[in-house]
Amino acid sequence: MKKKIDLLPYFLVSPLIVFIIFLALTPAFFTTIAAFFKVQPLNPPTHFSGLQNFRDIFSSAEVVSSFGNTLLYILIGVTLSTILGIFFAVVLQRKFKGRSILIAVLILPWALPGVVEGILWTGIWDANTGVLNSVLKSLHVISHYQVFLGQNKFLTILAIEVVQVWQITPLSAILILAVLQNIPDDLYEAATIDGSNSRKSFRHITMPLIRPGIAIAVVQAIIATLNIFDQPYILNGAASTANSLAMETYAVSFTNLNFGQGYALSLLITIFTLFVSVVVAKFIYKKVEY
Amino acid sequence: MMNKNRGFRKFGVGFILFWSLIPIYWVINTSFQTDAQISDVPSHLIPPTPGWANYKALLIGNGELQGMIRRSTINIFIECISATVITVVLASLASYAFARMEFKGRKFLLFIVVMTMAFPTYTTLIPMYRIMAMVHLVNTYLGIILCYVSGFLPLATWILYTYMQSLPSAIEEAGSVDGASRMQIFRLIVLPLTIPAIASTAVITFLFAWAQFIFPLVLASDQSTQPLTVIVAAIQGRHVVPYSLLSTAGVIALSVPAVIALLTNRFIVSGLINGSVK
Repeated sequence: MKKKIDLLPYFLVSPLIVFIIFLALTPAFFTTIAAFFKVQPLNPPTHFSGLQNFRDIFSSAEVVSSFGNTLLYILIGVTLSTILGIFFAVVLQRKFKGRSILIAVLILPWALPGVVEGILWTGIWDANTGVLNSVLKSLHVISHYQVFLGQNKFLTILAIEVVQVWQITPLSAILILAVLQNIPDDLYEAATIDGSNSRKSFRHITMPLIRPGIAIAVVQAIIATLNIFDQPYILNGAASTANSLAMETYAVSFTNLNFGQGYALSLLITIFTLFVSVVVAKFIYKKVEY
Repeated sequence: MMNKNRGFRKFGVGFILFWSLIPIYWVINTSFQTDAQISDVPSHLIPPTPGWANYKALLIGNGELQGMIRRSTINIFIECISATVITVVLASLASYAFARMEFKGRKFLLFIVVMTMAFPTYTTLIPMYRIMAMVHLVNTYLGIILCYVSGFLPLATWILYTYMQSLPSAIEEAGSVDGASRMQIFRLIVLPLTIPAIASTAVITFLFAWAQFIFPLVLASDQSTQPLTVIVAAIQGRHVVPYSLLSTAGVIALSVPAVIALLTNRFIVSGLINGSVK
């Protein structure tokens, strides 16, 4: 008896597969190949150029400084969002009145577009009208209004990254909270009976057991910060003080119309993202047993 | 010790409220002030003479600015709703096959879906633009919608797949005894049971689509298809537009996702957890 191939499942997944092939795999393949070609619409022809694009981007001062800037964005963003994420998750660990409303408020910043967040925080950081200046002056911390954005490089990056942290921390908190809620209560009760206090319990029970949640939160924070674009685009504009890799990729491709270099940069970002995600996940993510 | 814990929670709750709401409160506050009031030192913690002047200036009238805001608001709704509907429909079909059927290549295809979820935006940005330019879909709704759907389908499929997989297998058996076809089982039994996950997927997809900036910036170079986010950034870039109007545009652009997030936060949270924990 001949077995007939069941076509229905293939029929059901085919639209998804078509989308993935044409609008994800093909572009990814294209990026990988074209990174080794000279692709400049205003300066044809397109031809194979080996590692020239990579040499060019590494000899461009802007690109090189954007590597450093992006590293700072990642470092600040991952650290702050993880610490705040753990803090928020621990606050929300146990049920209390108003907890579900608090969760709704918590995820609000995650739901807003990065562009709009840039506008929101302009009102806070601004050198002439910002509320932070007003508050600091009223408290006599500063004697006159300060410039937070665009002057000092580190301060600019910090101020911009805080805006992104505001956006990505809710997701970190939710991911960590999901793991936190799986920790059985009797573990804490047993520890209390054994004379543990809440700080000790946090260190010896909570922290080791929420590792998988932290791992996922860190990975998503790395991917988000590595790709930061909207916030610096709005808050710092074309000024190159705090340019991120993503902004540099955009500028190289769509302002300079040097697509070859854009592909090369995109390829580096992609490889770096995949590499870091795997390494971090392996390093922090260990199966926990209760 | 009990007291210390309560103190910690009070501090934590206060901190979360302050951290999440102050920037939003502040932009709403400035949207009800004149530019002179915004420039006052110290800043006004509440609007001294609240009124709808800024909102009227942005929304009512036939000026260029008003036209841009109105056009881009219509655009963003068209693009987000279309992308959400297509994504949810295609993702539920695919996830039904992945979750409830056995077929050759199933594991491999699922692996591909998960792998594409890990692609950073920039892997596909430039080639996506060039593909769309090649097929003349730059500056069209279709180009933007196709781009969104391709970006959100993998995650949507994953969320629905994990959910459908958790449904008990007895449901199909009951259906097949009654002689229902697999598509009937899908429509009449599986789909209704999956509604919570479908809601999560739809809300998350819509919010992601609403937040898009760099893809529509690249794929829509003229105002006929540019969504609100791109227009807000454009008027921010023109230094002639004062912060009073800019913050008002910000409030308009955040009102829709903010209301959705507040109303559907349960679905968002469960969707995010299903989508990320692999």
